[in-house]
Amino acid sequence: MSETPQNPSDQDQASEPKQPEHRKEHAESAKPAPKAEEEAPTPPEPGKFGQMLREAGLPFTPLGEASNGMEMIEVLSEHLLDVGRFLRDDPRCRFDLLLSVSGIDMKDYRMSVVHLYSLYTHETLVVKTKADGEEKVQTLTPVWPAADWHERESFDLMGIVYEGHPDLRRILMPIDWIGHPLRKDYVENDPRLVWNRR
Amino acid sequence: MDIQGVTIVRDLDTEDMVVNIGPQHPSTHGVLRLVTTLNGEVVKDMEPVIGYLHRSKEKMAESRSYFQYQPTIDRVEYLSSFYDHYAYVASIEKIAGLKVPKRVHYIRMITMELNRISSHLLWFGTFLLDLGASSPFFYAFRDRERILKLFENITGARMMYNYYRFGGVNQDAPPGWLDDVRTVINELPDRFDEYEAIVNKNPIVVDRTVGIGILDRQACLDYGVTGPSLRACGVDIDLRKANPYCCYDEVEFDVPTSEEGDVYARYMVRMEEMRQSIRIIHQALDNFPGGDTAKLLKLQKEYEAAENEIKEAKKRVMLAEKAGNEPDAADVAKSQETAPQLDDDWKYQGQKVNLLVYKPPEGEAMTLVESPRGILGCYLISDGTPKAYRVKWRGASFSNLSVLPPLMVGNLYPDLMAIFGSLDVILPEVDR
Repeated sequence: MSETPQNPSDQDQASEPKQPEHRKEHAESAKPAPKAEEEAPTPPEPGKFGQMLREAGLPFTPLGEASNGMEMIEVLSEHLLDVGRFLRDDPRCRFDLLLSVSGIDMKDYRMSVVHLYSLYTHETLVVKTKADGEEKVQTLTPVWPAADWHERESFDLMGIVYEGHPDLRRILMPIDWIGHPLRKDYVENDPRLVWNRR
Repeated sequence: MDIQGVTIVRDLDTEDMVVNIGPQHPSTHGVLRLVTTLNGEVVKDMEPVIGYLHRSKEKMAESRSYFQYQPTIDRVEYLSSFYDHYAYVASIEKIAGLKVPKRVHYIRMITMELNRISSHLLWFGTFLLDLGASSPFFYAFRDRERILKLFENITGARMMYNYYRFGGVNQDAPPGWLDDVRTVINELPDRFDEYEAIVNKNPIVVDRTVGIGILDRQACLDYGVTGPSLRACGVDIDLRKANPYCCYDEVEFDVPTSEEGDVYARYMVRMEEMRQSIRIIHQALDNFPGGDTAKLLKLQKEYEAAENEIKEAKKRVMLAEKAGNEPDAADVAKSQETAPQLDDDWKYQGQKVNLLVYKPPEGEAMTLVESPRGILGCYLISDGTPKAYRVKWRGASFSNLSVLPPLMVGNLYPDLMAIFGSLDVILPEVDR
């Protein structure tokens, strides 16, 4: 899987929200579809918020833009809290609303994707974090308490362990469930579950 | 306090009692379990237990083709499923770069706004039913029924619409449908006035809602609460205004807000939202691209006839030339003409796609929609195969429900109906 920055010229302009001018320019300059396996030779340029993070000296990797023009960045788990606090508190960003935390199974590793929204600038930012070998990712609840249930859901269905989460329990599946159903290698009718034994 | 020799002690502490509400409980409108710790009648602690309606909608997307998955979306949020469909379809349109005709945008806008009214009407009826008023329930359902009739006419279904398609809609609005919509929405504002006349100043409603369940801006952000509940705290955030999708930038409407943030404020915001929806529908009907379908079909027939005439003329010219005769001058002139075509913006389906094996290119998109309950998101990742790699629903109810425990702590147990009802949580969207 790789992220595919689409050229906005062939998109339906009427249906998508208006993008500020500089983001459009950025999308045109972005290289199309660097595949994860092929080791993208030139990483995409950082967008508007990437530039701000770079000025603040915070470590991150720009990932270009999603198909609908949302800027995407990748942040390592250990820098997630610093980056999050900057994105929430900096007067130019002010991402005060955490929309969702999605766990994604990339087959080799798990990824936690956070969508942020700003009630001031009406902008959206996508922050991706790879889970390490022990499926661990830093929790974002100290920065955005709204992440609480979303991270529980991601833990429940994808098995990402959010370090420092105040109450990391299953939320949708029964408490005694075994396995994480949204993983690609999940086995249906797991014989370890009592009701699947015959 | 002494009354006739009997001492009455205020704030009497009792032993904590754990009460299990649900999972089957009429006031939860679904399957929700609330483990509540009570001190007398005061709620000390509350923990929602969700997942009773978990039907693995996100996993289902990975084993079905894009089109096969569409009917199941209706079941994610059955009271306003046009919004879920729009979020899903728009994500794919953005990934694939499909062009959507303007007529489709307008049909989507009208159906979505009608859906907002029908969803709010159902909320209005059941919310007051929870408070003990049974008449509004019947009034609201009478009006909701008329809107469902409109949906039935255009989509073929009253509840599970499955109407939007990639780059279009399933079928055009039937002839006369726009007039039917106009008739219904012309009558609705008077009804809303009636409802507000019997409810707004009703002493029981006022006693049970004013100053109860107060949310403030920071609490909303801390729990991710969006939609009317957030707007009732004075935050005028509406994605239709802030990040316009469809053709919402072409219509005028206000974003109703309130400062109080209590149950009553949420009620007032929703009532006003229905009026704004009607305003949007009126403008959408006035500017509807292509106009009524009957007119459009007539026009299409005329254009087809003109095209046939030209074809015939060309044929005659060709035959005459073949036979070595001089072709008729009128025929020659006719064959030079080009037949008029219907405007691309007047079609109900843009670029035709093969739905059964539809393969959008690689990419990902998160579409955010202002649903009646708040910000709804569909995060879709495509890996270029006919099945989605990952679909994630950001249901507004999921976050809105998480604010219930802090709202309830310190309140009386009977206020649960008012507070929980005012959040307008729908459980299938919470559990997905």
